[in-house]
Amino acid sequence: MILNPFGTADWMAIAPIVALAIASLLVLLADLVARPAISRYGAVAIGLLGTAAAAVLAAMQYGHVYAAFFGGFVTGGFTTVFEEIVAIALAGSLALYATLGDPKRIGGTVALMLWGSCGAMLMAGAANLMTIFLGLELLSLALYCLCGMVDRRGARESALKYLILSSTASGFLLFGMALLFGASGSVLLADLARPQLAANPLFWMGSGLFLIGLAFKMSLVPFHAWAPDVYEGAPLPVTAYMSVATKAATLAVFARVLYAALPAGTASHVMLPVWIVAGISMIAGNVGMLAQHDLKRLLAYSGIAQVGYILTAMAGGSALGLRYAIYYLVAYTFMNLGAFAVATAISGEHEEGARLVSYAGLARRRPWLAAAMTFFMLALAGMPPTAGFLGKILILATSADSGYAWLGGLLVAGTAISLYAYAKVVRAMYLPQSGDHHVADLRPIAPLAWISVTLCLIGVIAMTFYPLTPSNVLPLLR
Amino acid sequence: MIHHVMGNDGTYPLLIALWLLPLLGAILCWGFGPWLKARAGWLASALVGASFVLAVLSWGAGTQSVGGTLGAHQSLLSWIPGFDFGLLLDPLALLWVFVITGVGALIHLYSIGYMDGDAAFARFFAYMNFFVFAMLTLVLSDNFVGLLIGWGLVGLASYFLIGFWFFKPSAVAAARKAFVLNVVGDVGIMFAIFLIVANVHSIGFGDAFAAAGSYATPTLFLICLGLFVGAAAKSAQVPLHTWLPDAMEGPTPVSALIHAATMVTAGVYLIARCAPLWSVNADAQMLVGTIGGLTALLGAILGCAQWDIKRILAYSTMSQIGYMIMGVGVGAYEGGVAHFFTHAFFKAQLFLGSGLIIHALANEQDIRRMGGLAKKLPYAFVVMLVGVLAICGTPGFSAFFSKDMIIYGTLQHGHPWLYAVGILTAGLTAYYMLRLLFVTFLGSYRGAVDPSDLGIRHPELAGLPSDGDPAPQDATAHHHAPAWIMNLPVGILIVPSIFAGWLMFGGANSPWAHFFAGQFPVPNVVVPPISEGATSAIVFACVLVGAAVAAARYASKGALADAVARLRSESVRMPALLSNRFYFDAAIDALCVRSAQLAGTFFGRVADPHVIDGTVREAAISARWMGTLMRSLQTGLLRAYALILVFGAACFIVYYALAGGR
Repeated sequence: MILNPFGTADWMAIAPIVALAIASLLVLLADLVARPAISRYGAVAIGLLGTAAAAVLAAMQYGHVYAAFFGGFVTGGFTTVFEEIVAIALAGSLALYATLGDPKRIGGTVALMLWGSCGAMLMAGAANLMTIFLGLELLSLALYCLCGMVDRRGARESALKYLILSSTASGFLLFGMALLFGASGSVLLADLARPQLAANPLFWMGSGLFLIGLAFKMSLVPFHAWAPDVYEGAPLPVTAYMSVATKAATLAVFARVLYAALPAGTASHVMLPVWIVAGISMIAGNVGMLAQHDLKRLLAYSGIAQVGYILTAMAGGSALGLRYAIYYLVAYTFMNLGAFAVATAISGEHEEGARLVSYAGLARRRPWLAAAMTFFMLALAGMPPTAGFLGKILILATSADSGYAWLGGLLVAGTAISLYAYAKVVRAMYLPQSGDHHVADLRPIAPLAWISVTLCLIGVIAMTFYPLTPSNVLPLLR
Repeated sequence: MIHHVMGNDGTYPLLIALWLLPLLGAILCWGFGPWLKARAGWLASALVGASFVLAVLSWGAGTQSVGGTLGAHQSLLSWIPGFDFGLLLDPLALLWVFVITGVGALIHLYSIGYMDGDAAFARFFAYMNFFVFAMLTLVLSDNFVGLLIGWGLVGLASYFLIGFWFFKPSAVAAARKAFVLNVVGDVGIMFAIFLIVANVHSIGFGDAFAAAGSYATPTLFLICLGLFVGAAAKSAQVPLHTWLPDAMEGPTPVSALIHAATMVTAGVYLIARCAPLWSVNADAQMLVGTIGGLTALLGAILGCAQWDIKRILAYSTMSQIGYMIMGVGVGAYEGGVAHFFTHAFFKAQLFLGSGLIIHALANEQDIRRMGGLAKKLPYAFVVMLVGVLAICGTPGFSAFFSKDMIIYGTLQHGHPWLYAVGILTAGLTAYYMLRLLFVTFLGSYRGAVDPSDLGIRHPELAGLPSDGDPAPQDATAHHHAPAWIMNLPVGILIVPSIFAGWLMFGGANSPWAHFFAGQFPVPNVVVPPISEGATSAIVFACVLVGAAVAAARYASKGALADAVARLRSESVRMPALLSNRFYFDAAIDALCVRSAQLAGTFFGRVADPHVIDGTVREAAISARWMGTLMRSLQTGLLRAYALILVFGAACFIVYYALAGGR
C-alpha cells in the first residue's frame, strides 16, 4: 500500500496556495531566462494572474468544507474571506510595486510576495498548531527579505530589526504551542476546546505564550515597537502589503482560536489580557500618530489602533461580532491600501510620497488624488458617511451588547484622538503652506497607480452601501 | 389591513424608470443647457410626461392586492439589517405620482411659454425636473429614511426655485426663509425616525406600522409630534406657515407646481402614509385636526386682506391644505387625500391663470391695479372663473365633493368644533375668492390710475413686491395674448377641476373608495346627527352668504362705479392685525430669531472661546505630551524594543500563571 503523502488531503483545499506557489516559480523562471526581455510589468503580470487564479479558486471553496494535511488546513466561508483579503492585499501591492519597484530586483520581490501570501493563506485556513506556525514563518521569512529588498540603509536596518524581534516573538509562540500540545496531547485546535483543559495550568500558560506571539504579529501595544520602524524602512509597496496581509492572517488565526479552540466558559478569562492590550493599543496607537511626519509611520500607528477596533468587535465572542470584525477588516483593507496607493502615485524613486511634507498643496497640483486621499483619511478616521464610520458604529453596538462597553469607550476616545492626526494630512493638502514648493514638479502618474486608487475608492464606497456580512461564516469555522 | 403598505416582495423594475426619468432630465438640462437652449423645455416636459405614462401603465400593479399586500414593490438596496431601501407604489403613492407627473407635465409645458426668453431657461427646467424627481423620491420610498431624503431634496429644489431670480433680494430672502423653516420640520421627522428605529429596529414603513399597537402611548405621541412638525413646516401649517406667502417670489409656474399642487401637500401625504400610527393615538389626532382647522380658518381670514394676486392664492393654498390636514388628522383619510387631488387641479389652474394675467400685464400683481380684464383677457377670465367656482365648492365642481367629505368627516369622527370651523371657512373662501375675481375682472381697467389713489402706500406692507416676475420683458405688446403653449395646459386643467370630484360621488361605492380599498385603517365612526346631504346644504348656504357679501362689496353697480375710492378706503382702513398678518412674522422674529441671536452671541463670545476651545486646547496639549512620551520610548534601538516586548510578555506570563493556578 502506497502511503499518500497528503494523508486525507484534498487538493482542492490548498488549490489557491498551489496557484500562488506555481506563479512564484514562473516569475523566478522568467526572471532567470528572459530577464532583459521582460519588463517589470511582465513579472507583475504573472504575479497578478496567479493572484487572480488564487482568488477565483478560493471563491470556489466558499461554502464547501475541504480539508488537507490531516485536518491541519480546512476551508469554508471563514477561510475564503481571509484568503480573499490576502489576495486583495497582494494584488494591490503588486500593482503598486510595478509602478515603483527596482527593476533589478523585480523578479525576486514578486516571487517573495507570492510566497509570503502562500503563508498568509495557510494561516487563514490553519486548523492545527503546526500549520499555524508553518504559515506564520513562511510569511515572516518572506517579509524579512522583502523589507531589505532595496538599496537603502534604513531598509536593511528595518529587515534586521524585524528578523530579530519577530524571532523572539516566534519563540514565545512556539513555546506556547509546545505547552498546549503537552496539555492536550494534540496539535488540532479543535482538541483545545476539551472542557477538562480549563483546569490545566499548562493550558493557561501555553495560551498566554501563544497569545504573546500573536499579539506581536498584530503589533498590539506593548508588542508593537517594531512596527513603526519596520514600516518606515521597508519599500512602500511592501509596507502596504505588510500592513494588510500580516494583520488579516494573524487575525484569522486569532479568531479561529477564540471561536473554536477554547474550553467552554474560559474565553473571557483566557482572552482578558488580549482585550486589555487591544484597549491600550487603541489609545496608544492613536496618540502615537500625533507626532509623526512620515506617512508610513503614521499608518503603522494607525494600524496598531485599527487592530484594536477589530478585536473590540470580537471581544464578546458573538457571531455578530465576528461578522462586524470581518466587515471592518475588509473596509480597512481598502482604505489602507488606498492611502498607500496615493502615496505610491506621487512617489518617485526616492519615495517622496512617504513623507507628509510632500502632501503640502497637493490639492492644487493633483485635485483628484487629494480628494481620494482625503476620502481614505476620513474613512480611516471613521467619519460619516464612509465605511469606516459604519464599521465603528457596528462595533460599538456589538461591544455594548456583549458586555465590553469599556472597550467601546476606549474606541471612541481613540477615534477622537486620531481625528487630529488624519486631519493633519488633509490640512497639508488643502491649506496653503510655506512648504508648498517642495514637490512643485508634476511627474506623470503611472496608470496602474490610478487604477489602484480608483479600485480602492470603489471598494470603500461599495462597502458603505453593501455591507459585506457573510452570515454563514461562523458555522464554517472549523 | 394596515400592514398592506409593506407591498409585495416581488420586483417591479418599471418603478425605477418612473422614478429616475426626471432625474435624467435634470442632469441633461443642467449639463447640456447651453446646447439645448429652448429644446430644454421640451425635453424636460417629455421626460415628466414619460413618467406620467409609466404611472398610468402601473395602475394595475399599484392597485393590485396579492396575498394581503397592496401595490407594487421594488427593492433597491439592502443595507445593514432593518435598513432596506426600496420603492413602493400603492394607491396612496399612485395618487401622488399621478398628480406630480400629470400636473407636473402640464406645468412644464406652460413654463415653456412663461419662461420664454429668460436667460437661465435651461437651468429653470433642470430645477423643475429635479424637483419632480425629489418629490417622486418622497412619495415612492418604502421607508422613513428614503422619505426624509426626498423631503430634504424637495426643500432644496424649492429653495433653488424660489430664489430662481437670485438678483432680486426679496427672492433670496424668501428662499432662505422657506429653507430655514423647512429644516425645522426635517429635524422633527429625524427625531421621529430615531424613536421609530429605537423601538422597532427598522426604518421600513411596514415594520413601523405593524408595530403601531406596541409603542408606549407617550412614545407614539412623540413620534407623531415629530412627524407632524415636519408636516406642518412643509405644508405651511400654523405657526410654521409664514414662508409660503413669501415663496411667491418664485416664478408663477413654480408657485403652481411646488407651492400649490405638490410639495406643500407632502405633509398631507406623510400623515396619510402614517395613518396606522395616528389612528391609534387620539391625542395626536386631536392635535393635528385642531392645527389643520386653525390653519384653514386663519389662511382664509388672511386671504381676505391681501391685494397681491399670488398672495391671495398663497393664503388660499394654506387654508385649503389646512382642510386636508384637518381631514387626515381626524381620521377622514380618504376625504383628506381627495381634497389634495381636486385642489391640485383647480389651484394649479388658478395659479396658471393668474400667470396669464401677470404675463399679459407685464408683471403687475396688485389686483387694485387690474379691473375690467374680463373683456381684455376673456380666456384668463374663463380659467379663473372655473377655478374660483371649483374652490368655492359650487355643487357639481370638484371641491364640492372633496371638501364636504372632510367637513362631514370631522363630524363623523366626533369633532363638532372642527365641523363648525370647516363650514365657516367655506364661507370665507367664497368671499375672498370672489373678491379676487370681481376686483380683477369686473369694472374698468385701473392700470393707469395713480397707485396712491388706490391706497397703495407701503408696497411692502400691502404685500406688493417691489418688482414682479421679471421673466417676460416685452414692453411693446402690453396686452399681448399668451401663446397657445400657455393656454393649452390651463385648458386641460379645467376638465379635472370640474369633474375630478365626481370620482368621490357615491360614498362607499364611489370609485374613490374602491381605489383606496385596504389602504387606510378603518376607524369606528359615529353616525352624526346631521346627515351628509344636510351638511352639503349647510356648507353651500354658507358659501352663498360669502358670495353675496363679496358681490355686494365688489360687484354691485355702486361698487363698480366707485371702485377706485372704495379700494382706497379698504386699503387705508385695513386693520393693523390683518395687514401685519396676525403678527406671526414679528412673533417668530422676537421669539426665535432674537433668542437665537442671543444664544449665538453667548456661544460665540463666551462658551466657544473659553469653554470649548479651552477644553480642546488642553486636550491637544496633553495628547501632544503623550505623543512625545511615546516617541521617547521609540528610540530606534533594538534592545529597547526587546525590553518593551519582554516587559509585556512578563505581564502576560504573570497573569496566566495566576489564572492557571486557581
